[in-house]
Amino acid sequence: MLDPLYRRFPSVLMARRNLTRTKMRSLLASLGIVIGVIAIASLGMFGVALQYSFTQNLGDLGNQVTVSPNRDAGVTSLSERDIREIQRVAGPGVTVSPVKQGIEPVAYDRKQNTSEFIYGLERPSEVYNASEGRVPEPFRSGALVGTTIAEEHDLHPGSTIAVNGTTVRVRAVLESGDAFSRLNPDSRLILPPSYFHERGYAQVYVTARTGTQANETASAIRGALNDREQRVTVNELGSLVDTIEQQFQIINTVLVGIASISLLVAGISILNVMLMSTVERREEIGVLRAVGYQKRDVLKVMLTEATLLGIVGGLVGVVLSLGAGLAINHYTVGDAMAVFRLANAWYLLAAFGFAVVTSIVSGLYPAWKAASEEPVEALRG
Amino acid sequence: MTVIDAYDLVKRYRTGGETLEALGGVDFSLSAGEFVSIMGPSGSGKTTLLNILGLLATPTEGRLTLNGRDVTDLGDRKRTRLRKRTIGFVFQHFYLLPTLSAVENVEVPRLFDRDPGRTARAEDLLTRVGLGDRLDHRPDELSGGQKQRVAIARSLINDPTIVLADEPTGSLDRETGRQILDEFRRIADEQDVAIVAVTHDELVNEYVDRTVNLVDGTVGKEVLNA
Repeated sequence: MLDPLYRRFPSVLMARRNLTRTKMRSLLASLGIVIGVIAIASLGMFGVALQYSFTQNLGDLGNQVTVSPNRDAGVTSLSERDIREIQRVAGPGVTVSPVKQGIEPVAYDRKQNTSEFIYGLERPSEVYNASEGRVPEPFRSGALVGTTIAEEHDLHPGSTIAVNGTTVRVRAVLESGDAFSRLNPDSRLILPPSYFHERGYAQVYVTARTGTQANETASAIRGALNDREQRVTVNELGSLVDTIEQQFQIINTVLVGIASISLLVAGISILNVMLMSTVERREEIGVLRAVGYQKRDVLKVMLTEATLLGIVGGLVGVVLSLGAGLAINHYTVGDAMAVFRLANAWYLLAAFGFAVVTSIVSGLYPAWKAASEEPVEALRG
Repeated sequence: MTVIDAYDLVKRYRTGGETLEALGGVDFSLSAGEFVSIMGPSGSGKTTLLNILGLLATPTEGRLTLNGRDVTDLGDRKRTRLRKRTIGFVFQHFYLLPTLSAVENVEVPRLFDRDPGRTARAEDLLTRVGLGDRLDHRPDELSGGQKQRVAIARSLINDPTIVLADEPTGSLDRETGRQILDEFRRIADEQDVAIVAVTHDELVNEYVDRTVNLVDGTVGKEVLNA
């Protein structure tokens, strides 16, 4: 099967035969490479999996911008004009949801009134999904509750609560949101804006399609509203997410760097094996030179051996790393098949390439030593 | 036709502070199809002379002409190329590659050439030295005489004009030695290859055309076999 290969690259034939001559030694040398590849690839893949599960948890955080009045500058609420301004500068596809906010006495079970924050949104379906019931569109009556409140007070669509003495029917329980988000509805009670006496808005939720768009929108809002005085505070989490991802990248690079040391050790073991081999085969190499092999031919034979060790070790390492990657992704992300991602392919390829390069570099000195031996000296024994 | 013409070859080695003279002005010439032995005690410079004739070493002084071309001052790469084309080597300890079969060992000198007829030629050479049934055997599956035949076949793969043999019978019993010498004689006669054998073995002299005696790096009397 390999005959055409050997015919084309005779040095591969010689190299393979030479390596099988001292099977145990060759095996141990490539075992070093195998371990190095596994260390690099699986640490790399572990980092990728961590980063993936992290961004999965953060979800849409990066797409969200919140605009609030700057109380330090004496602005207590956002006016309709502000809202229009925000809508003007926000690009296409960006939803702008103004939010009213107030404190009202709320009775969940007809017994006791407690003071609760209530939120008013005109089109809550832009921001929230229902886990029970349906978010009405348009939202004119009834109430929406977060999962935490719903569980605490055993509320379902159709239940009634009293807000400021008025009976309100629960229309939907809202789906849990991202833990870090300012929009997280878990412990919120949302009513139509008509319940509120205040004219102004307490906050504006701006949802973009991508983190970059969110970032651009945030700058545009700052430019439009904070032109003369700092009227609003614009909060965006996109840049925070970016920073965290950059941190992950750095940690990953450090991990892979540490793992590379094991490949370095493997390279030294190949150097050792090849040096032993050149000493043992001194006479054979002398004969090769005598029968007309140029120095570079001998160099080629020896380097092919080192390369072969690297390729075999690297391939075995890649296969085992894939197995390790399946396990890692199964336990961290919960989906073993997530190992087949581009970033992981890159780590596998890099580990393999590094293994082969390390082997060739380690083979250079022994090969050079073998090639530059005087044939007369080598044949004298 | 003269294939080797060596004039006043001198070889000095520098070891430590001393200068050792291995060859002290040797003239030597060889014609096509001639079988010559070089005899002499240990340290007489036999191997040094063979190395110089085989382009494995360069003389300190003197000129060496190979097939009419002055090769004294050639660099390593050119000497290697010329050695491959014109000279075959046979060693006392055979020096076959233990990992390769008999055919592959014969092919070794041409292994890096694009040559589709290489294997057929190697098989033909092995058959001619009587190893047609041992083609795929590894060296450790062959006897000493068989190994030396493989080595002879290897020395002929490039159609050399000269074969240089260093103690070719040194590791063989007398009977096997005779077979190997028969083989050399036949190659010299049939293929017009010039053969130089450096040896201690008196037996060789029964087969050669003439014997050159080396004593302390200079040529003693020459014996011409009738």
